[in-house]
Amino acid sequence: MDSRKTAREILLILILSSVLGAAVNFPLVRRFAAGEFRQGFVDPREYAGIRFITLAETEDLFARRMQGAEGLLFVDSRRPDDFAAGHIPGALNVPLERAQHPGKKETGPDGSGMLDFPGAQTLVIYCEGGDCQTSISLAKIIHDRGYQDIRIFTGGWAEWRTAGLPEEKLQ
Amino acid sequence: MIRNRWVLLLLRVIVGGVFIWAGALKIADPLGFAQSIKNYQVIPHSLAFLIAVVLPWVEVLSGAFLIIGFFRRSSALLISLLLAGFIGLVALALARGIDTSCGCFGSLSRRADFSLILTDAVLLAFALCIFFARPSRQSH
Repeated sequence: MDSRKTAREILLILILSSVLGAAVNFPLVRRFAAGEFRQGFVDPREYAGIRFITLAETEDLFARRMQGAEGLLFVDSRRPDDFAAGHIPGALNVPLERAQHPGKKETGPDGSGMLDFPGAQTLVIYCEGGDCQTSISLAKIIHDRGYQDIRIFTGGWAEWRTAGLPEEKLQ
Repeated sequence: MIRNRWVLLLLRVIVGGVFIWAGALKIADPLGFAQSIKNYQVIPHSLAFLIAVVLPWVEVLSGAFLIIGFFRRSSALLISLLLAGFIGLVALALARGIDTSCGCFGSLSRRADFSLILTDAVLLAFALCIFFARPSRQSH
């Protein structure tokens, strides 16, 4: 009888939590049901400068960069060892963990940090691909530092590599 | 088994307080929490959203109930089940080499690592003590 009472009370807490959660987040739930946040949990009202791009768009930006377009920077949010094993040519490695908890070595002598990208206006951020999320988390951090044109390549390194596109390795 | 009611009250305040704090920080940023859940790479997108909407309230309510002593054993069991789930999730992430923030305290979250498993294990031990406790009646 005691275990039934416990189960009933737990169920009651869960139901109460569901009702409260749905009521408090009603506008958000409606937007989710309407199809928002499908590519990532990024609120466009809060992060107006972030958008998701496909492989074709990424390729196009890469081609422009190779032709010398200025202000365009590719950022790889994976771990340094993954980055060293292969990355999009010219990409800068900014591992999410270091961006979240920057140490002394991440700050230059002039006070600039690893999240300062002099001259860059458009940042293309990617991670491993598939279900990886570090690119989104990094994009939010960079957005909060004032960058207003951030593109997240959701296919990531896996899709880039599968497509047989150029890659670069560290020695 | 702990029978001292003051020790039990202290454990209830510690565990309940941590859960209220953790839940409140997540309630303030449901999308950020949904993102943290997705970072573990085991929960589907829509389910991550659903959990992000409901779980923080489960934490706050069970934490509050635990402190005030209402549904005390049920809240302790529910919190124990949640902690066991968190430990499993972090262990899985570590085993798969996923480098992520735990998402446990909203924007104040730390890295999902072995020390987090230890912290959760201590809280789990406290919660189980509360669940199995039979507080002694005050003698007259």
